[in-house]
Amino acid sequence: MKRTLQDYKSIIEPVWCPGCGDYGVLTSLQRALLNLDIAPENIVTVSGIGCSGRLSHFLNTYSLHGTHGRAVPTALGAKAANPNLTVFAVGGDGDGLGIGGGHISHAARKNVDITYLLIDNQIYGLTKGQTSPTSPIGVKTKTSPHGVFEDTLAAIPIFLAYDVSFVARANGVDTKSLTEILMEAISHKGMSIVYILSPCRTFPLLDAKGLKAILQPLPDDHPRDIKMVAMERAYSDRPIYTGVFYQVQKPTLEDRLQSVVKKVCDKTNGGKKYTIDKVLNSFT
Amino acid sequence: MKNSHSNCDVDFAIRIGGEGGEGVISAGELFAQVAARTAYHVFTYITYPAEIKGGFSMIQIRIKDGKIYSMGSLVDYLITFNQQAYNRTIKELKPGGTLIYDPDEVEIKNDINAECYPIKLTKLVTEVTGSKLGKNVVALGVLGYLFGVEFGILEKLIIDRYGAKGEDIIKNNINALKAGYASGRAINWKPKIELIADPDAKEHYMLISGNEAVALGAIAAGCRFVAGYPITPATPIFESLTDLMPKVGGRAIQLEDEIASLSACIGASFAGEKAITPTSGPGLQLMGEQLNLASMLELPLVIVDVQRGGPSTGLPTKTEQSDLKFAIYGTSGEAPRVILAPSSVEDCFYQTIRAFNIAERLQMPVIVLSDQSIGYRKATVRIPDFTKIVEVDSSIPTDEILIPSPERIEIARRIEMDPTKLNGYKRFLDTADGVSPITTPGLSGGQYLSGGLEHDETGKASYLPNVHLLMMTKRFKKLETLSKAFEKNPPEYEGSEDAKIGVIGWGSTEGAIREARLLAEQRGILFRHLHPKVLSPLPERQVRHFLAGLKQVIMIEENYTGQFAHFIKAKFGIKPIEIHKSEGVPITPEEIFTGIEKVARIVDEAHIARL
Repeated sequence: MKRTLQDYKSIIEPVWCPGCGDYGVLTSLQRALLNLDIAPENIVTVSGIGCSGRLSHFLNTYSLHGTHGRAVPTALGAKAANPNLTVFAVGGDGDGLGIGGGHISHAARKNVDITYLLIDNQIYGLTKGQTSPTSPIGVKTKTSPHGVFEDTLAAIPIFLAYDVSFVARANGVDTKSLTEILMEAISHKGMSIVYILSPCRTFPLLDAKGLKAILQPLPDDHPRDIKMVAMERAYSDRPIYTGVFYQVQKPTLEDRLQSVVKKVCDKTNGGKKYTIDKVLNSFT
Repeated sequence: MKNSHSNCDVDFAIRIGGEGGEGVISAGELFAQVAARTAYHVFTYITYPAEIKGGFSMIQIRIKDGKIYSMGSLVDYLITFNQQAYNRTIKELKPGGTLIYDPDEVEIKNDINAECYPIKLTKLVTEVTGSKLGKNVVALGVLGYLFGVEFGILEKLIIDRYGAKGEDIIKNNINALKAGYASGRAINWKPKIELIADPDAKEHYMLISGNEAVALGAIAAGCRFVAGYPITPATPIFESLTDLMPKVGGRAIQLEDEIASLSACIGASFAGEKAITPTSGPGLQLMGEQLNLASMLELPLVIVDVQRGGPSTGLPTKTEQSDLKFAIYGTSGEAPRVILAPSSVEDCFYQTIRAFNIAERLQMPVIVLSDQSIGYRKATVRIPDFTKIVEVDSSIPTDEILIPSPERIEIARRIEMDPTKLNGYKRFLDTADGVSPITTPGLSGGQYLSGGLEHDETGKASYLPNVHLLMMTKRFKKLETLSKAFEKNPPEYEGSEDAKIGVIGWGSTEGAIREARLLAEQRGILFRHLHPKVLSPLPERQVRHFLAGLKQVIMIEENYTGQFAHFIKAKFGIKPIEIHKSEGVPITPEEIFTGIEKVARIVDEAHIARL
């Protein structure tokens, strides 16, 4: 029986504010999964804390709504344990660039084959408007009542520097192109980050209209495998580029783990796995 | 040689002391391997500095023709490489014992009551290798000759140990070994005890550390996923598992910190694997938020905390039993988990297996509280019979799963939802024992939402008062289920039923308390000794049974504040006399005996009168 969009929706109705960019992200993800025909039972979605963290509630997958900032290493564990699963990590700007920012580089080093949706609304929306690592300098928030005085974190150059093997930026409001980018990200073998700009309607810093005016797709001839070109375009703030900045193929975590298994078993046990007795012998 | 502890004919201890980086411990461990290949039992105790080079380092090896419970107290043979080692350990040499020292490095007092043998360890090694490195191997040669070990056996040990390091290194080491052996011969020692290889020993016994026993236990329990971050003194568990996992088709991953490590274990457990992370106190503390989450998601996993001296960075290479309260209560809110405390090297193996069984069947995190002294200690343990591993079916009730033992090792898995009955599946269904059957990713129709937010039986977030109460009750009911199962276990105490004094300890102090009891019995003082392996939840009826008829309870712990005593006092309303040792080194049987003797003089006149 052919699957429909309904197969990817849980029975829980989304609870985001009307007009929230996260609706677009949810719909795009469900469409991408349907288009790729991935069975819901083979999907694990791990989300962090914040408005975006709720996304896992609304998907009919094996969903784990975890703690603040730990979606990536949790997703890594699930994928490492069962490489046949399609695994997502989902979180916001606070989750992925604030409290959990340290995990991304290490997941990238392992090139774990997960897709990380980092949904940036530039504010801590769920807790009603505190400063996030991407809140623009000068704007007033609940915890920057006199204006934000720190510089804004530039996410895409960070991911490029970490050598994340698939790096994209998308406009969460433009569900058509987001769906396409997500399909590519999911199909990519290795760690992919889709950095999604998702305006918050309740504490608007990014407004959808203004966003549209400064966003522009990367040129058609953008070379995905040249990091320095990607880096230059990642730093551009007029226009802000969307699309896939960078994509390279390198061994995934599973490839690396398997090569260790092969190396050690070939070298020491004629290519076979050790029996428990043989393990015991290494101690006696 | 007669010994002072029991009726055994052979029971003696050797200590080698020197500076960190001089190879004192590796020489001692090689010698312990020789001893373990004889008909005798071996038990090592190591203390080493937290620095890479420098600082006092020593290994003590006790050898006995019967089971060994503790490191012992005074030593019979002492080898000191330098003045610091001499100064720190000479008072622990038995009167009339044997002292071997490097006269170029150590000045000894004239009036010591010992047979003293100067052997120029540094000079000997410099002569044969041109370097000061390798005096530990000279010492190994000396010891080998002293105990009548065939040279070929020692030579093979060196080749096995340094084989990968190239021919020059092997040659130098063998020359150093020869020099040591020859200097022993020059003294014309007659071995008092000969360490003769016994083929049976290799077949039935192995010499492993508590940390290695945990790693082996995890593999035996069917764990195929380890995620960790190096931390002293738990690192050897992680090192063993990163070596073993690929060999058995499992996965071993080093993460960027402890938070990520436990996160990865949660992910792996969610995906259906048995997962473990080894750590020590500071790491356990970092894991707090994810420990909470695992409890809330009701996922099985095992955390091994090899405790060290705290607080903060504290004493990374020293032992302490000071993470108990954090293990039981630490984390925000009230999140049930189970605490096990292995009491010997061998027990590390069986309690680790038990931890997985409990975690899987109860769907909650289990913390195994080991410590530095047990983790780094090596002991001869009976080789477990892996043909006795039996996977128990999900139809076997949890309280009928046997505690893993040399006789039988049962391995349990989580209770899975019947795939034909998924209609109306509720992941967190409230059941009689609190355990809800689970589904694993890949099973069609088994998808569910699980989260750290309070949730109803389906997993949907809910903050309703009745839902929170229902789910708290459900989660804690699992501890009651377990507690009831423990009541069926055989009593975990030993000693006379007539005793008026009861001693309660936990974890690595079991052997020292047992030796103290044997010592006390020889002198007419009786006490009962309770040493629970499960610290939380406690099998209350068993503890009450133990307490019945006692006049005084003594609690022995290696911490400053008496953490387990707090727990026991609150639960049972007793007023124990507490003996705390908080110096970073294990308590000895003599220290325990001295404490108990004082108590006995007050509360147990009847038995004291016979002294």
